[in-house]
Amino acid sequence: MSGDGRIVLDGRPIPYRSGDSVAVAVMRAGEHPQHGGTVCLAGDCGNCVAEVDGIAYTRTCQTPARPGLVVQRHPAAGAPPLRAARQIDVTTAPPAGRIPVQRIEADLVVIGAGESGTAAATNARGQGRSVTLLDARDGEEVVGIYAGPTVIVRTPKGMAHIHARDVVVATGAAELHPVCPGNGLIGLVTARAAEQLHTAGVDLGVSVAIGSPPSGVPCTPVGGSLRRIEGVGRVSAVVTVDDDGEGERTTACETVIVGLGRAARTVLWRMADDLPVTVVGPAAQSFPLPEAPTAGTVCPCSRVDVDDLVGVWERGFQDLELLKRAALVGIGTCQGSACLPHLRAFIAERSTAIPEPFTARPASRQITIAEAAAGVHVDAFRRTALHDEHVALGAQMDRFGGWWRPWHYGDHVAEYWAVREGVSLGDVSTLGKLVVSGPDAVEFLERLYPTGVGDIRVGRSRYALLLNDGGHLIDDGMILREAETRFVLTFTSAGAGHAEMWVRDWAETWGLRVHLLDRTMSLAAINVTGPLAGRLLERVGLPSPPRFLQHVHAEVCGVPCHVMRLSFTGEVSFELHHAVDRSVELWRALMAAGRDLGIAPHGLQALQGLRLEKGHVIVGMDSELDSTPRRLGMEWAVKMDKPDFVGRTALARTAGLPDPRRLVGLTMPGSAPTEGSPIWSDRQIVGHVSSSFASPLLGHAVMLGWLKRTPFPDEVMVDGRSAVAVAPPFYDPEGGRARA
Amino acid sequence: MPALETLPGLRIVASPEALDAAPWSAGTVVLRFAPDDAFAIGATAVDIADDHAIVAEESGFVGRWLTREELDDRLVTHIEWPLPTALPALAQGLIAGVPAKLWLTTDRVLLLCAAAYAAELADRLG
Repeated sequence: MSGDGRIVLDGRPIPYRSGDSVAVAVMRAGEHPQHGGTVCLAGDCGNCVAEVDGIAYTRTCQTPARPGLVVQRHPAAGAPPLRAARQIDVTTAPPAGRIPVQRIEADLVVIGAGESGTAAATNARGQGRSVTLLDARDGEEVVGIYAGPTVIVRTPKGMAHIHARDVVVATGAAELHPVCPGNGLIGLVTARAAEQLHTAGVDLGVSVAIGSPPSGVPCTPVGGSLRRIEGVGRVSAVVTVDDDGEGERTTACETVIVGLGRAARTVLWRMADDLPVTVVGPAAQSFPLPEAPTAGTVCPCSRVDVDDLVGVWERGFQDLELLKRAALVGIGTCQGSACLPHLRAFIAERSTAIPEPFTARPASRQITIAEAAAGVHVDAFRRTALHDEHVALGAQMDRFGGWWRPWHYGDHVAEYWAVREGVSLGDVSTLGKLVVSGPDAVEFLERLYPTGVGDIRVGRSRYALLLNDGGHLIDDGMILREAETRFVLTFTSAGAGHAEMWVRDWAETWGLRVHLLDRTMSLAAINVTGPLAGRLLERVGLPSPPRFLQHVHAEVCGVPCHVMRLSFTGEVSFELHHAVDRSVELWRALMAAGRDLGIAPHGLQALQGLRLEKGHVIVGMDSELDSTPRRLGMEWAVKMDKPDFVGRTALARTAGLPDPRRLVGLTMPGSAPTEGSPIWSDRQIVGHVSSSFASPLLGHAVMLGWLKRTPFPDEVMVDGRSAVAVAPPFYDPEGGRARA
Repeated sequence: MPALETLPGLRIVASPEALDAAPWSAGTVVLRFAPDDAFAIGATAVDIADDHAIVAEESGFVGRWLTREELDDRLVTHIEWPLPTALPALAQGLIAGVPAKLWLTTDRVLLLCAAAYAAELADRLG
């Protein structure tokens, strides 16, 4: 605690004394932390929450006063206003580590350092167990117990995530709040709060005590039961009745001190169902319920009155959990700490049994989003070795398939033309790359892929689908044969991780003699594409580039590369796979060597258009979870005369069945419709567009789209315009340019 | 956190028996990512008794040697899994949410991750 000083309350400085909490300082100034209601100063209720240094719903009774601390009371009605969200650049990773997190391993976590908790901790330490003892009075507020068990704690230094073998809840008992007319006035305190305030030297004025009186606090005990509290804004009198409900007495006062009994603090224990959590001390005791409330505010957090409860009850919500949901009682700041005993009493009076307390869930205390997210990281996105090159070239980077990739470099149409008419570089380092080697490599891949593998000659490659046992497409890529018993497989960028696991699973399942090495993050890859690509490679050390679907190992610009001749863009393409630490060197050398050829890099936006003109499918974008080769129009990639492969049984079984789904090519004049647009026929939606592109070369829009109703129409409506089905590819259907 | 630097070496996938028997020059740190998968830091060649072994030059990992004190001061708070106590040991998991590995010896620790994650890890470790 700091020494004497001043805090700022609603824009006005008020003094505090050494040891004051914010709530005590506010009450010392004759104010209320909110706008009324019983104050417990124990962190149980929500009657002292305010905005403190910009953080709303802060329990001021648990917040030490310090110089310059700014307190803004919540509005008397309604919630504090939300602050405008700060604009965040989504292309940059959010800052990490704003709220420090301490991770602790302990045999035992004891929550509550009162008598019971201290005894439990001492006993465990005596048995040689490591113990973490938490006390809310030291600012260590437990906000939840999760599976593990893991105890999440807000501490003065940040958040603590404690992984424990066992947890002891020794949180004691909370004082009951009064429920009667006038219980929202200023001037109501519990007995313990009165003791704290008196000890702190806060003048409570003319005070009366109802129930058990506080110790050492000057006050006048008033017998009987509390009927109501009178006053305008502040307490001016308390009205009590005899125990038989008769003999109403009014006692003038400025403060009403209530000692109405206690209720076990069980919220943490209740949220730890099926976890090794025990409860001890008063928190484990069963205290008598208060009398059933008849009038007044039951739930000050959600401002629910007894009349509200009665109304909900009469509509049939006569179970505690239902009552909670229907009346929104017990869901506010205190999570039922103030209202739960009264709710149970309310139901007990109207039924035959006392209901068990309702379910508790984290967080039991208000925490900020930053505190909740502390120690939790967003997904880590990978960067290719060329990341900084792209940024330096003005690329708009974005996240695709677990990688940061260039979407465009400022003008995707110019990039498109560089590919179609000149030469361009694309960073395809993100493609999956898996080496397969072993005496059973051919048999393994024959079983895995629906295409023929054994007839791929060394130095040649073949496009292949990867199917699951249902015959559904899960990925695609190339099979490249490097030696009789050695292959390189490529996969899509987004699917590489799953594909690798899929391949490994089958290798293990079949027990075949193959070794597998994932090279996805060890090898970078640059796609040199365009009609001038061959000329560029001739200049940089590859006088005889491989022919279509061939591949060679060669040095390009002095960098050892695995050069693969294939094409996704529809033009001559060479993928140069090479070590990641040589990638920048290779990229720069290629860019320099191709300068007079008009070389330019292309991003994903241009690439998606280029491949769409060729009708190439992007797995996951154009395919669905149950897309078969037939539905995709790719039966040519399946060799059903093979004895077996993954998915063959399903494909054979369904081959003769009618199938009302087909991926088709569509064209229409004008701009490209939004991907995902519905496809209409006869005023009905019959499918949707999966990819679309306004082709600069063709002068109209080209699309891939799913039709899901037979007979498949030849003419449809998309985006309010007429479109016609056209068998892809839309561009260079003979494939002469890629093979040139 | 000082920069993570490329860890050149050899990646070998071979039968566990062949890897167990492989002779390494003195001082070579060999990390067994799996029984059939090893990364020999600094190695440039290996004689491996497996005709179908995959032996590849590896430059896809970056790393940095740390003292045990640096591990405690800079990394432990970012690790949610228990560190092995029997040393030396290779541990693999998320560090600050990034896939990474630790080679722990009695007096020092090698932090390594795929080069593709280097910038992300460095950002998060600060």
